[in-house]
Amino acid sequence: MLSKMDSKEVLLLKKALERQKKARQQAEHILEEKSKELYDVTHHLQETNSKLENLLSEKTSELDGVFINIIDPYVVMDLKFNVINMNTSAKEFLGYDHSRESLNLAKIVHPDFIAYTAQSFKSLIEVGTLKNYRAKIFTKDNSVKWILINSSLIYNTERKPIAAQGIVRDITHEMEIKQLLSEQKKQLDIIVENSPLGIVLTDEGKIVKTNATFAHLLGYTEAELKQLHVKDISAPEDTDDSQNLIRKMNNGEVDKFSIIKRYYKKAGGFLLAKTLVSSVKDEKGKVEYQVALIEDITKEREAEERLKTEREKYSSIIANMNLGLIEVDNHDIIQLVNHSFCKMSGFEEEELVGKKASDILKLKDKTIIDAKRDLRMSGESDSYEVEVLNKKGEVLHWLISGAPRYDHTKSVVGSIGIHLDITNQKLLEIQKEKLLKDLEKSNDGLKEYAHIVSHDLKSPLRSISALSSWLLEDYHDKLDENGKFNLQQIQEKIEGMDRLIDGILKYSSITDATLDNSLVDLNEVINEIREIIYVPDHVNIVMMNQLPKIKVDKTKIQQLFQNLLSNAVVNIERQEGLVEISSIENNSHWEFSIKDNGVGIPKEYHEKIFKIFQSIGHDERSTGIGLSIVKKIIDLYQGQIWLESEVGQGTTFHFTIKK
Amino acid sequence: MNILLIEDDNIEIMKLQRTVAKLALNHKITEAKNGEQALEILRSVAQIPDIILLDLNMPRMSGIEFLKILKEDDVLKYLPTVILTTSENRVDLLECYKVGIAGYIIKPLKYEDYQDKLSKVLAYWEVNELVKG
Repeated sequence: MLSKMDSKEVLLLKKALERQKKARQQAEHILEEKSKELYDVTHHLQETNSKLENLLSEKTSELDGVFINIIDPYVVMDLKFNVINMNTSAKEFLGYDHSRESLNLAKIVHPDFIAYTAQSFKSLIEVGTLKNYRAKIFTKDNSVKWILINSSLIYNTERKPIAAQGIVRDITHEMEIKQLLSEQKKQLDIIVENSPLGIVLTDEGKIVKTNATFAHLLGYTEAELKQLHVKDISAPEDTDDSQNLIRKMNNGEVDKFSIIKRYYKKAGGFLLAKTLVSSVKDEKGKVEYQVALIEDITKEREAEERLKTEREKYSSIIANMNLGLIEVDNHDIIQLVNHSFCKMSGFEEEELVGKKASDILKLKDKTIIDAKRDLRMSGESDSYEVEVLNKKGEVLHWLISGAPRYDHTKSVVGSIGIHLDITNQKLLEIQKEKLLKDLEKSNDGLKEYAHIVSHDLKSPLRSISALSSWLLEDYHDKLDENGKFNLQQIQEKIEGMDRLIDGILKYSSITDATLDNSLVDLNEVINEIREIIYVPDHVNIVMMNQLPKIKVDKTKIQQLFQNLLSNAVVNIERQEGLVEISSIENNSHWEFSIKDNGVGIPKEYHEKIFKIFQSIGHDERSTGIGLSIVKKIIDLYQGQIWLESEVGQGTTFHFTIKK
Repeated sequence: MNILLIEDDNIEIMKLQRTVAKLALNHKITEAKNGEQALEILRSVAQIPDIILLDLNMPRMSGIEFLKILKEDDVLKYLPTVILTTSENRVDLLECYKVGIAGYIIKPLKYEDYQDKLSKVLAYWEVNELVKG
């Protein structure tokens, strides 16, 4: 094959080879140049590197020198959180040693602080420094520590950050204290906020802090109050006392004082509060703050005021009342008297108070004091009358209303007596009693007198009657008709006089004192009267209705009906006489009617007939006492009597008797 | 019967005597003008009367006073005493029964009525068994 190669071809090849040779030489030359360049660069790099390393190591050792000796832990880490260097303190604190094991700080951060850490790191990269990074970490022994790091970036010569260094402070203890403090503060806040007292902290009168109670009391918000001064919300100290106290506190003479002052509410009005002010001093003894505890006593004060008004009201009543008031203790020693009592007894207050009541007040019955004291000791009240001498020795009558006096433990400490001078009434009463007794005596006397008089009148009548009848009998044949007639006339007159005496006696014996009331069946009474009085055959007595049973004196009611019925029966001249008895009951009285169809009574006599000795009948036997007796009995039973009558037609008597 | 009549009124004495005489009764009447005199008689005579007729209204010693003294005497208290009076006073009546009496007769107005009443009283006591001495 080669033989076949022509020279041209060889030439060509030679030329190509030549070209290639040249090119190679050229390339080799370039390569050489480039290699030299490369070498130079490498060399330079080497130099730089070595310089940098030197620098770094210099810096490091320089820093090491600075930080190695500080107490706080010091750590250098690359930007991937790998620890490059750390001082002994850091090693001791964290428990890791980077020269023995690799330590990535991101891994020991407490999970709660991962996000915060990333944030903080970003800020570090941007700003170059990071202050007050606080986080919890785990040390090697797995205990949790609070740390505070102040750190900065480390840059290379080209100002590129290459690492970060930081000083670590163990703030675990600090944080614990802080937490404790915050808990205590929270507890204190709870106490303060829930206190029923308003609490205000002031600095020279300026409100620094208040609790909710105080804000609520005044109707402000706490924020509003903080803008205010004490004088904006309270009345100025008006009394010398309180001004004095405040001055003393400002001078440091007192640490606390208590006053009652007014606080104005936001919505108007005020509250009255007991205020306890205490000063809080700094270590130099200068007043730093004032703490005021404010207790709302508006209600208490109002109640007190009310009580005071009541007390004043009652003491005014006691002082001004017309009743004597005295208070004694359990030994009868006078504790208090009012003006009226002094006036009543004639003693001055000084002469009474402190003295034994029974010594100075001369009671007629001295045993009553002990008896009443025993009663008071057992807690009983009562009223009684006493006879007593006043200072002048005059006899007085007092009505005493006594009651035990108690102290706050409810035990009896004495008694209180209200005295009413009833001397006048008593005298009247005594007079009245005497009068009544006299009246009774004279009534009795009168009754006795009536009996005696009637006896003394009746006896001679009986004698005359006997003598005249003996005349008629013994001298019957010697007397002519005229003489006999006259003797008979004497007999009749004597009889009339006897009836009159009887009537007066009956009339005079109708008195209240003689009433002997019992339940009386009037139907029976009427039937008895029918038996007693003379009823002519042609006269009928009819009860128109069942009569009631009423409480009266049976004798008197019988006398009443008997007189009326006798009158009715006697005065009937018709062939068929009719007497009708009826009754109706109303609220307070019984009303009875006795109707006859007799001769009737002319109108002009209707009143006269009830007067004693007024007889209008033609019957000479009538004494005129009957209707007077009727009227007197009805008066006793607080009733009334009246009549309706028409001459020739008949008469109806109506009368009432009180139930 | 022995009757002691204690009565101050002469006519009354006459009335009883006339009654006894007229009815022909065999009674012995002793008169006393008042209580004191009656007590004297009762304490002096050997034979005490069978009954006493006593008026109430008398001077010096009244009938009731006499009656009380009589009832306090151990012997004389058994004497039946009949009151003979004009007094219709209920107080007197009750008082007499309380002290102790054998009857209470009211003197009627008319002599005929008196004679009638007294004859009955005397007849009653005549048929009674009397203590006799």
